[in-house]
Amino acid sequence: MPGVDIDSIKAAAGQEINSASSLEELEQLRVKYLGRKGVLSDLTGMIPGLAKEDRAAFGQQANALKNLLTSLFAEKQASLGQGTPLAGEAMPDIGMPGIVQDLGRLHPITQTINEICAIFIRMGFIVVEGPEVETEYNNFTGLNIPLDHPSRDAFDTFYLKPKDNYSERFLLRSQTSPVQIRQMKAAKPPLALVAPGRVYRPDAVDASHSFMFHQIEGVVVDKGIRFSDLKGILEVLAKNLFGKDVRTRFRPHFFPFTEPSAEVDVSCIICNGKGCSVCGRKGWLEVLGSGMIHPNVFENVGYDPKVFTGFAFGMGVERIAMLKFGINDIRLFCENDLRFLKQF
Amino acid sequence: MKVTYNWLKDFVDIRVAADVLVDKLTMAGLTVEGLEKHSGDFIFEIEVTSNRPDWLSVIGVAREVAAVTGKKLKFSKSSFPRKLKSAVSKGLTLEIESKFDCPLYIASVITGNSVQASPDWLKKKLELVGCRSINNIVDVTNFLLFEEGQPMHAFDLEKLRGGKIEVRRARQNEKLVTIDGVERLLNSEDLVIADAEKAVALAGVMGGKDTEVSSGTKNILLETAVFNPMLIRRTRQRLGIGSEAAYRFERSVDRYNSKAVALRAVKFIEELSGGVCVLEKSFGESAPKKRTVTLSCGHLEGFLGTGIAQDKIKNILVSLGFKVGKNSRDGFLVEIPTYRQDVLKEIDLIEEVARIYGFEKIPSTLAAIQPQVSIYTIRDFTSELKNILIGLGLNEVVTYSLVDKRLLEGLGVPSSGQLEILNPLSQEQGVLRPSLIPGLLKCLAHNLNQQQEYVKIFEAAKGYFDSGKPEPQEELRLAVALCGVQSWLLPQGLIKDELGMLHLKGMLEEVFSRFGIKDYGFSSDLSEGKIKIMIKGENIGLIYNPQKKALDFVEIKNKQVAVLELSLEKLFAQICREKKFVALEKYPAISRDVSFVIKEEVLAEEVLNAIRSRNIVLLKELKISDSYKGKQIAPGFKALTISCLYRSPERTLTEEEISPAQAIVCAVLSERFAAKIR
Repeated sequence: MPGVDIDSIKAAAGQEINSASSLEELEQLRVKYLGRKGVLSDLTGMIPGLAKEDRAAFGQQANALKNLLTSLFAEKQASLGQGTPLAGEAMPDIGMPGIVQDLGRLHPITQTINEICAIFIRMGFIVVEGPEVETEYNNFTGLNIPLDHPSRDAFDTFYLKPKDNYSERFLLRSQTSPVQIRQMKAAKPPLALVAPGRVYRPDAVDASHSFMFHQIEGVVVDKGIRFSDLKGILEVLAKNLFGKDVRTRFRPHFFPFTEPSAEVDVSCIICNGKGCSVCGRKGWLEVLGSGMIHPNVFENVGYDPKVFTGFAFGMGVERIAMLKFGINDIRLFCENDLRFLKQF
Repeated sequence: MKVTYNWLKDFVDIRVAADVLVDKLTMAGLTVEGLEKHSGDFIFEIEVTSNRPDWLSVIGVAREVAAVTGKKLKFSKSSFPRKLKSAVSKGLTLEIESKFDCPLYIASVITGNSVQASPDWLKKKLELVGCRSINNIVDVTNFLLFEEGQPMHAFDLEKLRGGKIEVRRARQNEKLVTIDGVERLLNSEDLVIADAEKAVALAGVMGGKDTEVSSGTKNILLETAVFNPMLIRRTRQRLGIGSEAAYRFERSVDRYNSKAVALRAVKFIEELSGGVCVLEKSFGESAPKKRTVTLSCGHLEGFLGTGIAQDKIKNILVSLGFKVGKNSRDGFLVEIPTYRQDVLKEIDLIEEVARIYGFEKIPSTLAAIQPQVSIYTIRDFTSELKNILIGLGLNEVVTYSLVDKRLLEGLGVPSSGQLEILNPLSQEQGVLRPSLIPGLLKCLAHNLNQQQEYVKIFEAAKGYFDSGKPEPQEELRLAVALCGVQSWLLPQGLIKDELGMLHLKGMLEEVFSRFGIKDYGFSSDLSEGKIKIMIKGENIGLIYNPQKKALDFVEIKNKQVAVLELSLEKLFAQICREKKFVALEKYPAISRDVSFVIKEEVLAEEVLNAIRSRNIVLLKELKISDSYKGKQIAPGFKALTISCLYRSPERTLTEEEISPAQAIVCAVLSERFAAKIR
């Protein structure tokens, strides 16, 4: 080989590395041999100047030397007792911002719906959806809410402009309960489902009202479903959603589509039931409406109320999200300020 | 509705404090929303649900108080006068047009009254429940309205013409000035009380100004009646009148109690005003038919999930005023009082027992739910899609489904097929959105106003339109909007990335890849300035930059916005969930780049397709890896770099094998596109 003795380089380097006594010294040697202008770099730089038949063999030798020295350096570095990285991969200024993909977030309403649905899925429920533009029958009559009756006052409703005087009247569902009618008409019991979705009511918008919000409806129908089952299932929901220490209270109420009907309160998650401004000093927060499905509803969908019983419940998603996250204004949900969305 | 503690004590011996009573009533379903201490009494603000008109009276609430506190009602109906002694029924014509509209009407004429202020105890009682004292006649009718739930009306007899009372539908465009001084224009949907000439009161809703009792009134006609709830409701809604009377008639009044109330009223007015009842005439009086419902204790136990002792069941029902007889070993025959028109079925009785027994005493059990196996639904796909999109850096937004027609117009959305709201809150929410883009643009504008440097958002929700079918259509859609400059601080410096349509393309390709969709493409429609998203030849949506007009409308200034909107239903129809493993390549690939200058108008896709069409066997992947326009490149030209990846499944390729293939690539470039290889 012209003027270069790879073996003697190997021997010299081996000895020098072996006798290095500090990391600094070792680093200097690394620069001398493996650095950008080091010995090895000189060797490879020679290759083009060699006779064609010598190039391959010389290249292989140089490469073998490089591999050998790299591992010697690594061993020596380890034996010097510290795993500090070699220079060139210097310690970053860890005060500098980390480099990361900016991931997005699911909307807090979606997160809340997902969380609630997941609780029911674990209990064997399925999740279904229904249309938002509904018929008067599915939104009212089928649910035992007569068209000209005071019980409708609780459900102010947006109607669509009719195409002509003869066409059927359509409305924006004022609750997710029409999904009950559709599902029961479509399938025979047993039934255990939840149905999340958008609902609409002509309420002027303020901190606690919106003309569009979300509800989750739940329905269970089978032979032998009891009021005690309604209590049990909804207690599981409350504990999963608000914490295992939360207490629930079932208060008799009236809904046209269930009987008996109950409003479900949970002990205030802010004050733990002592009474605060969030619960209006009552110690309880109303979170759900529920009840045993009214026999008239069963008759409307062609189920025999003598054979089947069941319960239904509904909850406002915004209300639950506001309680869970401590959000004080319902308008924030549809404003979609990134500073808001990035908090969840 | 308001009711006071002391008024209730007239009927029940209440031994519990007001706040305790509040809890007991609320937990039995009679929600007390507020409790206020006032001049030695407590005012309860109660929420009466529409199924319980009987609770719209002090006596009705007292009945409930008796049941929840285990006491008996103090009064019995027999303590009230049953019969009028001296009255005759001649000298007044009473005509009821329809029994359906007005099932019961009792007219009592009381003469020689002295109209004056009511005694203080009566004034105070009324004022505590929010009713202004008027005079001794009107106050008696109001007192009984609150106490018994029976609205009544007193007419000044001298002002009624022709000795006649007629209950009939109003004539078309008939006019009546009501007590509040407002002239009402009526039609045949309205029920009126008329004398021989004209309407004198809006039946069940409000009296007429002309015939009201005033300080000069001597003789009165007292009306105790029952009207069809639906008629009252429609008139009240159409004319926008809220009155205590209409509120009760609309929810239905117990007609079998009306006569007793009429007698009480007469006696009371005689006492307070010194008048004498000289005439009474009635229509529709009848004895109630006995109504019974059977209750099986077995059914009750099966339905509630707990057994309740038969004695206990009976006591609860009796405390609520039901008459309970035994009809079998397991059951009761329950006679329903006339004031409980809501109790029709066994389930209604079970509810009564359960709510007084206490929902809290019913155990909690877990239903044996039979799991239903569901197939993968659109909802699952949507959920998966949303997770992919947030991984791509997009934030999910939820925007209103109701939008401003003018915004759609600004966006160039055709107005045909839009679904308009009949009763919108405002023009801003007048139309069901056919497209999600307007909502996203408003979100962009809001966030840009908050000095966000860039905004990346999406919404997966419904669009609505009229497709000519009888029922309106809904379609699940995805929309994405990008705006601004995203920057990355890397060790080598700040990298700026202006968000645009190619970012949208990249995101979609990732979505397609995850959903196993292969046969897709993007075709530019230069005339429209939009890019069509195609799957298997079907257009599923568009990528575009909204026009300045639309951006102006939402006040986005000097910013480029890129949006995407597509039909998720069409996308989901193409999902291929089968994934097949492809063996990993054993031999290394070799990459060769070729850089060239080419006319600006030549599209990258054309170049790549031309090379692909040569079917070069070893060429496995082909992509644009760099592009440049700038000073060193002549105007009208651009520089591109193509990376070609060569690979063989059988061996490591040699330079000699690659060179001919690469030569073909270069030949395509120079011959087909006159590109200058750099």
